[in-house]
Amino acid sequence: MIIEAKSLSKHFRDVIAVDALNFEVERGRCYGLVGPNGAGKTTTMKMIYCITEPTSGSLKVFDLDVISHPREIKARLGVVPQENNLDPDLSTSQNLRVYARYFGISKDVAASRCQELLEFMHLSDRADSPVPALSGGMKRRLILARALINDPELIILDEPTTGLDPQVRHLIWDRLLELKERGITLLLTTHYMEEAQKLCDEVLIMDEARSVDVGTPSELIHSHMRPYVLELRADRGHVAEILSRFGHLEHQSSGQNLYFYGNATEEFNGLYGAYPEVEHLLRPASLEDVFLKLTGREIRQ
Amino acid sequence: MNAGILSVSPAFYRVWLRNAQVFIALWKFNFLPALAEPVLFIFVMGLGIGSYIKEIEGVPYLDFVAAGILGSAAIMQATFECTYGSFFRMRIQNTFEGIISTPMSADEVGLAEISWGATRGMVNSTLVFLILLVMGVFHRWQVIFLPPLMFLAAFNFAAIALLVTSRIAQMEYFRFYFAGIVLPAQFICGTFFPVSRFPEAVQIFAWVIPFTSYIDISRSLMLDRPARALGPELLWALGTTLIFTELAVRSMHRRLVK
Repeated sequence: MIIEAKSLSKHFRDVIAVDALNFEVERGRCYGLVGPNGAGKTTTMKMIYCITEPTSGSLKVFDLDVISHPREIKARLGVVPQENNLDPDLSTSQNLRVYARYFGISKDVAASRCQELLEFMHLSDRADSPVPALSGGMKRRLILARALINDPELIILDEPTTGLDPQVRHLIWDRLLELKERGITLLLTTHYMEEAQKLCDEVLIMDEARSVDVGTPSELIHSHMRPYVLELRADRGHVAEILSRFGHLEHQSSGQNLYFYGNATEEFNGLYGAYPEVEHLLRPASLEDVFLKLTGREIRQ
Repeated sequence: MNAGILSVSPAFYRVWLRNAQVFIALWKFNFLPALAEPVLFIFVMGLGIGSYIKEIEGVPYLDFVAAGILGSAAIMQATFECTYGSFFRMRIQNTFEGIISTPMSADEVGLAEISWGATRGMVNSTLVFLILLVMGVFHRWQVIFLPPLMFLAAFNFAAIALLVTSRIAQMEYFRFYFAGIVLPAQFICGTFFPVSRFPEAVQIFAWVIPFTSYIDISRSLMLDRPARALGPELLWALGTTLIFTELAVRSMHRRLVK
């Protein structure tokens, strides 16, 4: 087991950030932590890469305890933090080499790894650029390259693709899948359910410091959702009328958006037959539907 | 939880090297401005005011004030590095969080920051030392002990500064530290005139700040006269350096590992 958490909790003074979390991550898997902002995902990750200490419970990474063996654990993992912490005063390749030194990697090995990683992340032509001259996508790729400098067995990614354009996002996805194929374990948080569905073998949904459910993306969809969703965008008058006539079908509403859930597409026939002028979309249920169902639609901090 | 100086591995120098590398990359911005203050002091205090004062405690004013200017160059640079410099790396650039996500520990970051502050203080005061040497201010070979003594002074003030840095939530709090300790240290610790000119309460305050001891020892090396109390002064200098380093390193650990 790469990660093993047993009733893991973290309290900050009187705030409970993580509450009795249990989960296990097997070698070579991609494990996703999803949940609204403030759910405790980042705190959980920080405990795994040993920069936050658990308040109670046990947490083992590579079968080593995080409190007694932080140095050994950190030597074997790579971290992509949520916020950019590149050295703005150093060049792209210097950023990598400085990190190589923290891991005690010799100069020669660092130089060749640096070159390899810049190629892997499509940054070779920017090796000597100062960091402020890089675009947001380049910075993110550089941070991912940096997380690989020690040839880690586990990579921890806190929202690796937030704020990136689709091209960079796809490049990062490709690279992460490639790393997984090499047997590297991935732990990631994301707010993009599409990303979780695409990359993760297993997803843990967190809300208010607790685990709400865990499973493969398709397990989660099947256990919480009917297979089909009909989305309607109606004006205010229509909303009330549609709900009064079709409220017996399972549904959720959010402003002017209505979501009906069904086991077969035929169940919706009467509905959009009656309102051909209302904009609608029929689609299979997704992880995002599960997420919203389990964590609610109201805004969190 | 292992914390404190004893938990630090020799590999802490890697963090020191990171700072050195950035310093070299930005050398243009680092060297000359840092020298402006001591050079200005040499001219204003030594040559300007000095031409009116002529002699103080039996020596030319420039000879007297040299110890203060040298010491100021060391502690001011160390203080700036470990207050604004360290805080910027910690809070604005998130540099430390990145470093402690590698096998480096928070305590190693703490000791590396203090050592780096001390290094900068020593580099700065060594340049001032060379200027004073060229100006013919030194008359005794014992002045070769001044650079290592300045390293200790810079280390001492870097440690105190990092302790402050590790305890404050926002940069503005540094103003209290500068107003309450750093500025008084620069002016009342015997830098420009003897501490004995002050009322007793102020003298006690001055001697509590270790800078007074460093200046008194420096002056004894430069001017062929005994320090006021070499043993206790050295003990106070070394003791406060050790204590503040341990406190700062532990406090940095608490700050970074939440």
